[in-house]
Amino acid sequence: MMMSDSKLNSIPSAGQKTQGKGRVLVAMSGGVDSSVAASLLVDQGYEVIGATMQVWDYSICNIEEGNGSCCSSLDVDDARSVADHIGIPFYVLNCEHQFKEAVIDPFIADYLQGNTPLPCVNCNTFLKFDHLVRKMKELECDFLATGHYAQISQTTTGRYELTTSEDTWKDQTYFLFTMNPELLPKLLFPVGGMNKADVRQYAEERGLVVARKKDSTGICFVGKSGYDNFIESQVPASVLSELKGELRRFPTGEVMGRHEGIHHYTIGQSKGLGLDHHEKMFVIKIDAKSKVVWIGEEKYLFKPSVKVERPHFLQPFENGEVLNVKIRYQHRGSAARVFQEGAELRVEFLEPQRAITPGQAAVFYRDRALVGGGWIHL
Amino acid sequence: MPVKKLPVRAVLCKELSLQMSPSHRSLIGDQGPELVPFCWPFRTCSKSSFVLRPILEMQEFSKVYLDFNATTPLSTEVQKKIVDAMSVWGNPSSIHWAGRLIKTELREARRSLAMGLGVGPLELIFTSGASEASNTVIQGLWNLILQKELPEPWAGRREFITSTVEHPSVMKAMAAIEKRGAIVHRIPVARDGAFDLAALQQCLNDKTLLVSVMLANNETGHVMPIERIVELAHSCGALVHTDATQALGKLPLNLGQLKVDYASLSAHKFYAPKGTGVLFTKKGSPHQNLIFGGAQERSRRGGTENTLGQIALGEAMKKISEVSFQFERLAGLRDHLESRILQEIPEVTLTGSGVPRLPNTSSLVIRGVDGETMLMSLDLKGFAVSTGAACSSGSPEPSPVLLAMGLTREEAQNSLRVSLGWTTTAAEVDAFVETLKGVVHHLREIAKAETGTTGKAAKG
Repeated sequence: MMMSDSKLNSIPSAGQKTQGKGRVLVAMSGGVDSSVAASLLVDQGYEVIGATMQVWDYSICNIEEGNGSCCSSLDVDDARSVADHIGIPFYVLNCEHQFKEAVIDPFIADYLQGNTPLPCVNCNTFLKFDHLVRKMKELECDFLATGHYAQISQTTTGRYELTTSEDTWKDQTYFLFTMNPELLPKLLFPVGGMNKADVRQYAEERGLVVARKKDSTGICFVGKSGYDNFIESQVPASVLSELKGELRRFPTGEVMGRHEGIHHYTIGQSKGLGLDHHEKMFVIKIDAKSKVVWIGEEKYLFKPSVKVERPHFLQPFENGEVLNVKIRYQHRGSAARVFQEGAELRVEFLEPQRAITPGQAAVFYRDRALVGGGWIHL
Repeated sequence: MPVKKLPVRAVLCKELSLQMSPSHRSLIGDQGPELVPFCWPFRTCSKSSFVLRPILEMQEFSKVYLDFNATTPLSTEVQKKIVDAMSVWGNPSSIHWAGRLIKTELREARRSLAMGLGVGPLELIFTSGASEASNTVIQGLWNLILQKELPEPWAGRREFITSTVEHPSVMKAMAAIEKRGAIVHRIPVARDGAFDLAALQQCLNDKTLLVSVMLANNETGHVMPIERIVELAHSCGALVHTDATQALGKLPLNLGQLKVDYASLSAHKFYAPKGTGVLFTKKGSPHQNLIFGGAQERSRRGGTENTLGQIALGEAMKKISEVSFQFERLAGLRDHLESRILQEIPEVTLTGSGVPRLPNTSSLVIRGVDGETMLMSLDLKGFAVSTGAACSSGSPEPSPVLLAMGLTREEAQNSLRVSLGWTTTAAEVDAFVETLKGVVHHLREIAKAETGTTGKAAKG
């Protein structure tokens, strides 16, 4: 049926490709950043298509929805209403299978190994900048956009670089170190050049329903119940019972007690150790094989160097070059020499670093440019 | 009437050797062409003269709707009727003038419906939709069993039989009563759409209370052998319910002649609004309310009537006589669609086409092309189709109906459903095929390029 009705013709549909700046697929989580990203692209004259990846069946966990955890069903509604508001077509992509395989399963495996995983990197690597790139091509889009705080710039030689965002506090390049550099010319990060306050102000002015929505904190699929509860809901009791072991004092080896499973601990943790001890103690080391959690004084948390496995580089570096290295998302970065050692890297900090945590990423910067990164292991 | 006064589409159809139906001619005569948003029924001279010439200049369509099994647009007449009926606002249960006015309208609607379906007016119970109608039958009978209130000759019967390809409203209602203790048998349907009558015969016994099998499948369009099912069931003394939702407006439908005991229908599949449905309950068939309340529907369904919906459905039913010519016309369009797709797009198969089927539905497996992506690509180009039932979209699982018919998960994920309607034109079908060709080629090229490049980066 040919619709001649004016209301039907106002339904957003890409129709013929416009001759303007091109067609963009924008990943919309329902949060303020990606909503503003989509809206800015419309303002800039792109033909915009919005998509939300539904990554997790929230009906199976006791997560409280809509409080900034990405991609829950209330957030899908928010993304949809923003898309309606700015007049773009919007789709929900079911990615539960890919998400479980590429993000959830490795997350759980990492915890069982006594590591503290960083699932957002895998989500970027395997969903946002792999699965969505394919969707971008399939939907005949010229670009893929996300609400990441990151910037893409071109050097004087014409090479594309990923650089930190204007808002240094919100910068998310830490999560993007696995990026394929060939993709950079195809990517748009519309809020990367803005401060969070300006993003919110724009959202208010544009009347986006998400303008005052809380920032997402923590990991989207874990929710308020905490990591250990999440792990316990996903792992069989027989496996969990094998994670129990001894609490030992570092470095003497004195047995201080028993613990309920290595997944309850992370390096540098001092609360919840269950010890009635006069001095403040910290988790120094987790031994996944013997299930021993080593605790000790704070001074033992400092390390001068770290090994990095499965490195990935967006641009070349000189062996032994001093780069700025971030060892966790909220870390400001410390100068370190980076050495190639076979398939791995050795990172030697100019000053010892506190609580270097296996499972997290070490990410290297030259000034504002993201050089590369890899996974910390001890 | 001069052709130049007709809307563009009418001219197009004219070129395609189609003639207008008398009802359309009278409609144009009454209202003038500018009040007809799309050319309503056109009649073929005869099937042989229904010549589909290739369109030389491809018509540019901004929006083409080919998802009539999901829902249908309101017909012009129904829209007009609803607007008129909005000024009749009384409560039909009231004794006073306001109530009487609306009661008259509802009586007329019921009469129109009863006439169109070949049943008595009091055998129809208006509901909120076909889902409610089917639930009323299945849960109602189960409750009568539990209460030991089944009348003779059904007392003591407690087994149910259904098929594996039913709409969720039947499938899940059956699963729900099964959980509460009912015995439910499920008859398989083959990939070509064939219902296993032998299996039905084996399941039927003197304990069988109800056989519930849909008249036509929403996803593939295959038509079930209801007459034979009724014969077999009745010979065992069992009752028969059919979800006839997809048949209304697509097949000549006479519930009286069909001899079923219950049938579910939905208004929005027949050019009338959502939120209205009908349960046909043959006189004398056991009934228990799903919704208790006032004396509406002779106390068989509580709740103040959805007056606009019922009146609208009554109006839509006035067109029921056009089904037979639409059947021919749609079957011609569908055959044209399918033959072009099968000839011009490699590696496409049809599902459920080995048995009689609805004239408007094509269920295609397009190898190597993800249905979800295909749907989005087509939508972006203005074409509305579906991968399966609209009710199940958004679910990660491929269509349970297609899986039950023996398709692999991959085949089910590569499925596309195209369903035509009374306003579909040959030009739309041709424009769709051209677009589909491009989309499938594009998606297959990307799939080819991506093969072997997966798993490139290490997982952390």
